[in-house]
Amino acid sequence: MARVVVLGAGVAGHTAALHLRRKLAKNHDVAVVTPNAQYNWIPSNIWVGVGKMSTTQVTFPLAPIYAKKGIEFHQAHGVAIHPEGGDGHMKPFVEVSYTDPAKQGSTAALEYDYLVNATGPKLNFGATPGLGPDGYTVSVCTASHATEAAEKLAEAITAMKRGEKQTIVVGVGHGTCTCEGAAFEYVFNVEHEIRQAGVRDLADIVYLTNEAQLGDFGVDGMTFTQQGFQTSSKTWTESLFRERGVRAIAGAHVHRVEPGVVHYEQLDGTTGELRYDFAMLLPPFRGADMKAYDASGADITDAVFAPSGFMKVDADYTPKPYEEWRAEDWPSTYQSPAYPNLFAVGIAFAPPHQISRPQKSPNGTIIAPAPPRTGMPSGIMGRTAAETIVDMIKNPDAHAHSASMAHMGAACIASAGHGLREGTAAAMTMFPVVPDYQKYPGTGRSAKDTYGEIGLAGHWTKTMLHYLFIYKAKAKPGWFVIPE
Amino acid sequence: MTDVNTSIAAAPMPTEKTVKSRTSLPTQMMRFGAINLRMVKIILKGHG
Repeated sequence: MARVVVLGAGVAGHTAALHLRRKLAKNHDVAVVTPNAQYNWIPSNIWVGVGKMSTTQVTFPLAPIYAKKGIEFHQAHGVAIHPEGGDGHMKPFVEVSYTDPAKQGSTAALEYDYLVNATGPKLNFGATPGLGPDGYTVSVCTASHATEAAEKLAEAITAMKRGEKQTIVVGVGHGTCTCEGAAFEYVFNVEHEIRQAGVRDLADIVYLTNEAQLGDFGVDGMTFTQQGFQTSSKTWTESLFRERGVRAIAGAHVHRVEPGVVHYEQLDGTTGELRYDFAMLLPPFRGADMKAYDASGADITDAVFAPSGFMKVDADYTPKPYEEWRAEDWPSTYQSPAYPNLFAVGIAFAPPHQISRPQKSPNGTIIAPAPPRTGMPSGIMGRTAAETIVDMIKNPDAHAHSASMAHMGAACIASAGHGLREGTAAAMTMFPVVPDYQKYPGTGRSAKDTYGEIGLAGHWTKTMLHYLFIYKAKAKPGWFVIPE
Repeated sequence: MTDVNTSIAAAPMPTEKTVKSRTSLPTQMMRFGAINLRMVKIILKGHG
């Protein structure tokens, strides 16, 4: 009998847990540890943030799903990994601290044969003074944050209906943020809502981003082939900004936020102040900050985790300049090089480097979008780790399954406004996620499979995916035929 | 650095016909099929 513990129940962790339970015989245990009682389909938080969906439409309780599937559920967060056991344990174990109100504050040591770290990001609002719901800006990272954002946006729209001009700022709150796609979605959803409210002429909408140019999306931009032309995602995105009348500040690092004012620096070293009435700025991410100890109790955190708090896996972490980055740098099995029964998937794994070219201002401020590893790639990684573990339980010498972001494609449906008849979304596909300039000289990606279009059909697709993925996450009949 | 807003101002502006086609039901029903076929292709080509 083997015991698999999954830390985290986001897209990667929940996918891994469901596949493990489906593929492993009942004499093997699958346990999930997550601090949240609810599953959150995060891509739809954008619509919660503009008041078009409620929290209950994007969340559901995890406990009944896990009870039905025979998965052990601990509402807790991982504190430390002991991959060699110790302290009286013959097997590896993970220390957890309960957030479950019934066990609040108590701790436990959960032994495992295999551990999947899918803890997702720590929302590092603290990296920028004044950033976030505890500061002076709102966020859409969680359903409750998005609900607060919708309330504040409604206040701004009410002020405009009174005839007051409003400055709306949407973007990222640090030079090393990721998820620029989410900020892009939110700015155009906000613009759409303000236009629908009939007060567009009273809103100055500003997109504040760490991308050196629009359309970078943290993936070094894309090249789309359309109507016989190759078009950069920069031009494609700028066209949408022009059409919708949204201003932008690119290549920016936010130093601090004060009530109604964002202080930022740009790649050319200039600094600026941006006054606002409503601001949604995403935080940078870091790992869950777990510790690791060997059998003797010595701290081996530096061997297991990168300084960012993300877990080291089978990537090439040798520091090298952008020009020397290769597809092979990216991990494929997501196994820890130190402990092969330890995996990190989704945002929890430490990427070898960015995908976009990292840049510094003349003042030395790093302004470099971090690589996105959410959504479709995250689910694929979770499933891949689960398949490897299932094979290893049957045969300890089994080869690991692989799913490198340099060999997988992704579809991204970025909402640009909600509504069954008047909504739009930017539907984009790319192959591969990480550009491979050796295999695809010039653009780094397959011209046939890297594509983008804007329209209502994209909105219908995102709506369909919302219901499809919530159905899948609820593990309803046939859930596993829905691809990640 | 080049001001991004200068670049936005020089970006292609969609014509009224293009903007209307983005919410035209007959056009978008066809595009819905096309987008989903593209996603299926991505899934089949390299989904891990």
